[in-house]
Amino acid sequence: MIVTSPHLVAEEELHRGRPASAAIEVAGLSKTYRSGLVAVNDVTLTVPPGTVLGLLGPNGAGKTTTIKMIAGLIVPTTGRIRLNGFDVARQRSQAVRQIGAVLEGSRNVYWPLSAWQNLLYFGRLKGLRGAEIKPRARQLLTDLDLWGRRDEPVGSYSRGMQQKVAIAAALITDPPIILLDEPTLGLDVEAGRTVKQWISMLAREQGKAVVLTTHQLEVAQQLSDRVAVIRQGRIIADLPTRELLARYAEDRVQVRIAGTLSGTGSLNGTGTLNGTGSLSGVVLPTGATAEADGETTRVTLSSTDTAELYGFLAQLATHGAPLVSVSQVQPDLEEIFVRLIHQEPAE
Amino acid sequence: MSTLALPRTGSPALAVRLVANETRKGLQLLWRRRALTITFVVMHAITFLGFRLLIGGGHIVTPLLAATLPALLAFAVAQTAALQGSGGIAEEINGGTLGQTQLGPASPQLQVLGRLAALTAEGLGAAVLLGVVFILGYGVHYSYRPATLIPAVLTVADGLGYALLITAFTVRVVSIGAITHVFGMAIQFFGGVLVPVSVFPHAVETFTRFLPTTLGVQALNATLAGRSLWTGTLGWLVLHVGVSLALGATVYVRNIRRARREGGL
Repeated sequence: MIVTSPHLVAEEELHRGRPASAAIEVAGLSKTYRSGLVAVNDVTLTVPPGTVLGLLGPNGAGKTTTIKMIAGLIVPTTGRIRLNGFDVARQRSQAVRQIGAVLEGSRNVYWPLSAWQNLLYFGRLKGLRGAEIKPRARQLLTDLDLWGRRDEPVGSYSRGMQQKVAIAAALITDPPIILLDEPTLGLDVEAGRTVKQWISMLAREQGKAVVLTTHQLEVAQQLSDRVAVIRQGRIIADLPTRELLARYAEDRVQVRIAGTLSGTGSLNGTGTLNGTGSLSGVVLPTGATAEADGETTRVTLSSTDTAELYGFLAQLATHGAPLVSVSQVQPDLEEIFVRLIHQEPAE
Repeated sequence: MSTLALPRTGSPALAVRLVANETRKGLQLLWRRRALTITFVVMHAITFLGFRLLIGGGHIVTPLLAATLPALLAFAVAQTAALQGSGGIAEEINGGTLGQTQLGPASPQLQVLGRLAALTAEGLGAAVLLGVVFILGYGVHYSYRPATLIPAVLTVADGLGYALLITAFTVRVVSIGAITHVFGMAIQFFGGVLVPVSVFPHAVETFTRFLPTTLGVQALNATLAGRSLWTGTLGWLVLHVGVSLALGATVYVRNIRRARREGGL
């Protein structure tokens, strides 16, 4: 059971009746520190409601600085940030109330205080009254399996539970924008899975705009509707995740066949499969490779030449080899990320 | 979808609630860290007693104890608040919660008010504990008058101004722990905790008046001894309190803004 709670809107906006088209609008954002370090350089991003943006980059690329500038915790050197229509520089107090944030490498909540005290504090911090916060705090703690230990100091919790409290504190006022800097860092499998489910639910079911940074690229691939890759402070890719993956799809085809290769070698000297049962004797097209993958065998053809593919499939049919799937070779986000990071910067 | 509306920013009622929220949090944290305050109180009670015995040749000289006790209580307020304020903000910076506290409509000025209220409770708690122990334990008698309250309140405010300044510096200065310790020693020695300020040479006595709590303690001692409150000291005390509180608040707000510019939150 996951909490579905009211949407938080600043009263000013209710009166104004001007819903923002994009939850987060970042334009020409740069940050140069006094040391001369250019941490962020001309970043422009837009995140609509109900979208998870994966902001990816190597260490020191500028992810955290960008997140903190969006949260109003670092003042940009140039550029503009609007959160649900509120300008962070000029309408800071309204803008920051649109945000719930879990920041990287920090506790985010007061460890000496209990989970309950933390949620009440962070709710009141945004101007809500205790009576307004308590039902939501109860619901959040129940949904996150923390209700039974709500009065214990957060410092006594496990890492996963502490992170859940940080997430609950970020959500206590039901903000429309969630900033998550490494939210699954250091979590075990179960806690990580819970956090991922929540992130997905927040965007898909509750329509929140989520900005997520993580070094766990499989997490980013699972959750992000859109991926922005930042390197040396510059955005070098900003695309819907599917489109990014499609762009890097390779001109190779992978055929998966049920059955395993024999233990001592996948191919004989003539490019014929040495396998179990029906796989034995299947001749591979020129340049193709085969490798065992659990109970199946993966054959990768060196091109997308349909004649070659059909010929190979016909051969499989003749041998009675059970076909599992045929697909274009698709590198995962991690592989694409590494390629992007290492490619020469465009002039 | 139903709507949970946030109250309008800038309303006085909201400001009061935001200050109260900071104060409440400060008191909750104080309660969790009460062992620290109790250790501070015990340590300074022992040091104070040790010096009284040393000066009295192995005996407690009650008039001397009575003359220096207000300074000890003022020092307890100032130093407890400074240590808790500085330690608290350092913990918040390292833990990342200081950044989280900036994600609300409260200005740094409002937050500093809330912090100050919590620091007051912490400092007064330590002072009351010490006061009760020595006044009851050694039968110290003062002539309490309503007028005593004025320098007492001003002395507490002066100590809080100092605590606020130390807290504000913590946002920027890494080695604030050592600086606080040195200041603490100076206040203890020159503020009349060990020996009354009046025993110092005139030049040193003049210097001590620039330190937190000294002027307040002089005014307090004067009223406790039955002398008039309206001496030249009171004016200087009011000025000292005003300057130290304004300086503390200004430095705090500036340092938070600077941390925002330089990525220190």
